[in-house]
Amino acid sequence: MRDPTLDAHEPELGSLPEQKGDRDEATVNKTGTTTVGLTTADGVVVGTDRRASLGGRFVSNKNVVKVEQIHPTAVLTLVGSVGGAQSFIRTLRSEASLYESRRGKPMSTNALATLAGNFARGGPFLAINPILGGVDDEGSHVYSIDPAGGVMEDEYTVTGSGMQLAYGVLEGQHDPEMSIEEARTLAAQAINAPTERDTGSGNGLALATVTDDDVEIETFDTVDDVL
Amino acid sequence: MQDNQQQAYDRGITIFSPDGRLYQVEYAREAVERGSATVGVRTPSGVVLAADRRARSPLIERDSIEKIHAVDDHIAVASAGHVADARQLVDFARRQAQLDQLRYDEAIGVETLTKRVTDHIQQYTQTGGARPFGVALLVAGIEDGEPRLFETDPSGTPYEWQAVAIGGGRDEMQSFLEEEYQAEMDLSGGVDLALEALSVDADVDAAGVNVVTVDVESGTVDTLSDDEVGAHVEELDLGGEE
Repeated sequence: MRDPTLDAHEPELGSLPEQKGDRDEATVNKTGTTTVGLTTADGVVVGTDRRASLGGRFVSNKNVVKVEQIHPTAVLTLVGSVGGAQSFIRTLRSEASLYESRRGKPMSTNALATLAGNFARGGPFLAINPILGGVDDEGSHVYSIDPAGGVMEDEYTVTGSGMQLAYGVLEGQHDPEMSIEEARTLAAQAINAPTERDTGSGNGLALATVTDDDVEIETFDTVDDVL
Repeated sequence: MQDNQQQAYDRGITIFSPDGRLYQVEYAREAVERGSATVGVRTPSGVVLAADRRARSPLIERDSIEKIHAVDDHIAVASAGHVADARQLVDFARRQAQLDQLRYDEAIGVETLTKRVTDHIQQYTQTGGARPFGVALLVAGIEDGEPRLFETDPSGTPYEWQAVAIGGGRDEMQSFLEEEYQAEMDLSGGVDLALEALSVDADVDAAGVNVVTVDVESGTVDTLSDDEVGAHVEELDLGGEE
């Protein structure tokens, strides 16, 4: 009677996808992408661009929403392989739901980040590099999760092909005491720079606002629509 | 005739009797009753577990009688019934506690751990070729700064208690606890109550009981030394002969 829950690197429901040889990089949809996460005292703002591309050379979709709710007060961004990221999000969402229904309390953001790191390390979700943003009893948190399972918390973080451009905007501008409204403006500006210059990023932006009781996700065609 | 009928239904644990009973599970409860008693008391400042570990011979090494086990930094488990069965469940609980640490980077909740253990016990009431666990456990710990005390039984049902006795003589001890329990005791008062409850059945002496506390403030499991237990026993005048 082996207990299937006795493996920290496997989801309880379903299984991690199997690695099937080398995939043709040119034909796999990638997000290219710039995604940013900012903490404030009142919540978290996560922003993404809206482009999917084939190797950053052809725009395969102009209407992607690359940030999804995975928990009552947490969101995750899709960065890297679209299929890998979508599967990753579905897996985490079901685990967070099971945890809460069994224990009568939602997962902390740190628990969610740890689980996400375990899954990223334990299963080949292809190359994914998402941001996790969430609010819990301890406050606001953003984590970046790397393809090898590295989990790093910060006050603000950026992942994706446009990360240098976005960091250039954020450095010196982020303030943990800023309001959610100010953080939304800063996130929009940080997405706008790579939208202009990075071929993997573009086509407008999506903003997720996470507070201690809610997640709201909105899409915008241009940065001016946010400001 | 009655005997024959009953025999037919206690051959396998997976077979219900016509009146809906699982005899093997009930026999397992009898095994718990034959074990020496264990008492748990919850107070606002922590949980106390006290177990009778009277030796059957003066030559036995007392420390080899295992009745209370630390499962994680913040959770302890005490048993009544088959010690060998308890060891299996304790190791299962320890692995589950570490699994949560690995999986979520957090200390497992007392309720979550208890339910993992009871779900495991339940499998042995429904699986052919196995027998139920002949042991009941008390699971004591701190969860989100709150003291929690649970019981598991051989059917795999979890119960939460303010104060509870399991094992031989439990009925008298439970009646005693029901009369004497006060919600606002300190931890030392909880130790006193647990020792007094154990003494309802027989004399208590310091070497013959094992007392463990899980403190809300430190969140850790602490075993009382023989001297500390002795001080409580003497103060309470429980009539043990050293």
